[in-house]
Amino acid sequence: MSAATYAQDSTSTTPLQLSGSVDTYYKYDFSKRPNIGTSFAEDHNSVSLGMIDLALKKTTGKASFVGELSFGPRGQYGSVPNGNGEAANADNSFHIQNLYTSYAFTEQFSMTAGYMGTFIGYEVIAPTGNFNYSTSYLFTNGPFQNAGIKANYVFSPKFALMVGLFDDWNVYRDLNGVSHFGAQLTVSPVEGWTAYLNMLTGRSAGAPGTGSIYDLTTAYQVTEKFKVGLNAADYSVSNDNGGYSGAALYLQNAFTPAFSLGVRGEYFKTKDIPDFDGSSVTSVTVSGNFKAGGLTFIPEVRFDNGNTARFVKNNLDPTKSASQFSLAAVYAF
Amino acid sequence: MHFKFNRSKQIHQSLRSGGFLFLLFLSISATTVAQATKHADEMPRDERGKYIQYEMVEKSALPADSLKERAAAFLLLKKMKKVQNDSSITANGKFIINKTALMLAHPSGELRYNFTFEVKDQKYRFWLTDFLFIPYKRDRYGNFVPSTPIGTALEDSPGKLNTAEWASYVDAARKLSATFAAQFKDYLAAVLKVKTPAAKKKVISTKSW
Repeated sequence: MSAATYAQDSTSTTPLQLSGSVDTYYKYDFSKRPNIGTSFAEDHNSVSLGMIDLALKKTTGKASFVGELSFGPRGQYGSVPNGNGEAANADNSFHIQNLYTSYAFTEQFSMTAGYMGTFIGYEVIAPTGNFNYSTSYLFTNGPFQNAGIKANYVFSPKFALMVGLFDDWNVYRDLNGVSHFGAQLTVSPVEGWTAYLNMLTGRSAGAPGTGSIYDLTTAYQVTEKFKVGLNAADYSVSNDNGGYSGAALYLQNAFTPAFSLGVRGEYFKTKDIPDFDGSSVTSVTVSGNFKAGGLTFIPEVRFDNGNTARFVKNNLDPTKSASQFSLAAVYAF
Repeated sequence: MHFKFNRSKQIHQSLRSGGFLFLLFLSISATTVAQATKHADEMPRDERGKYIQYEMVEKSALPADSLKERAAAFLLLKKMKKVQNDSSITANGKFIINKTALMLAHPSGELRYNFTFEVKDQKYRFWLTDFLFIPYKRDRYGNFVPSTPIGTALEDSPGKLNTAEWASYVDAARKLSATFAAQFKDYLAAVLKVKTPAAKKKVISTKSW
């Protein structure tokens, strides 16, 4: 029971905002078993659950908070950390997507502290933020969230900078102190085109070296109907401890206001480490988005092909390729 | 049998109350949709077929230059980008549309529009038109942001599946434009207040009496 009401721009104090999403899916892997190892939507030949995601936001004057929790396999078991990060609590938990407070000192300058969705990468955990239902290798291997404190300065509508100090990736508390430095440069050269240049570096607790990720995430709404997106990233752990690199291209076209079709093409490669060669995989995903009010149906086919036999056939023989079909329903409110 | 009968009765009763709630929900939803669609139909269109909020004020107490100055001041107050000519002002603005449920709300999109103001002697006219709707989506930090920089004309057909929601946007455009127009006319008609110095507050002394 919702209705559209109105307001002239936003006021400094807003009512408590409640929003979120619910998602469910069916997936059929053509090898008749879970095969493609990206995040979420893992079950084969099953009508399975994603998650219910609930977000609260409130702004009072210059201060605001966001608290966002998710419940269900996508949030609890598919995301990290589960519970307090300890294995014993992994099966009985909720997952925090965002939990932070923010203060806008001026219209240009703000500071934020807490646990936030990562600023790295194109795709996100919440299915409402992605066009494709299955996720990319870059998303799966990159950070999901970062706890920390960050300062953001908007120099102009075309240029902004964020710098911050962060904990290790995907943890609610850092065991080796605040160990990472991150920055994001936002550039909007023309109307409809925004590019984010991201970096995050630091040594995580127990890691053999310093991990540094450099990431470009950009999207350009070329016309009212056609959109192009690109994500490229390079991650290295010092002292020859591996990492990965890759790029994903997103092409989407809205044929009608209620139907869009999109293709994601991705190349992903893990880096060589002593005595072990890295491997690569190429993936093509074609997804449709049918919209009916808050509901989006996402039929999707995906083909992955590796340079090594990283997948399995029906009889468990190793193979270089895998494919799957899925149908997801995502409701946003 | 007795038990079975009671159980069936309970199920029947619960289904009946559940069915009643479902029917109530359906009827309220249908009424809301019907009202939004009806009100959306009431929004006038111009000769191009575009939705328009058009107003003309014939007998203003102020001369043309004062009216134009006040119009410019109003647009500044609303933080609208404007272009001024000899006898007209054009500007761009936007309305935020909120979805509400009980005491909770969040923005669901914005309506961008073009505003035109023309003045001649002691009369003026203005209109809001070229409405574009831009849906919002939640970003990775839980904030609502435009999902696309390019809007869809409010006159475009959204498809059968989204008709009801679209009708509510047109209805919102009608209400928001009417409110804007009323505020604009009030601002131009208002008598300028002379700033008087604040009266000195009386201080009560407890030392002498």
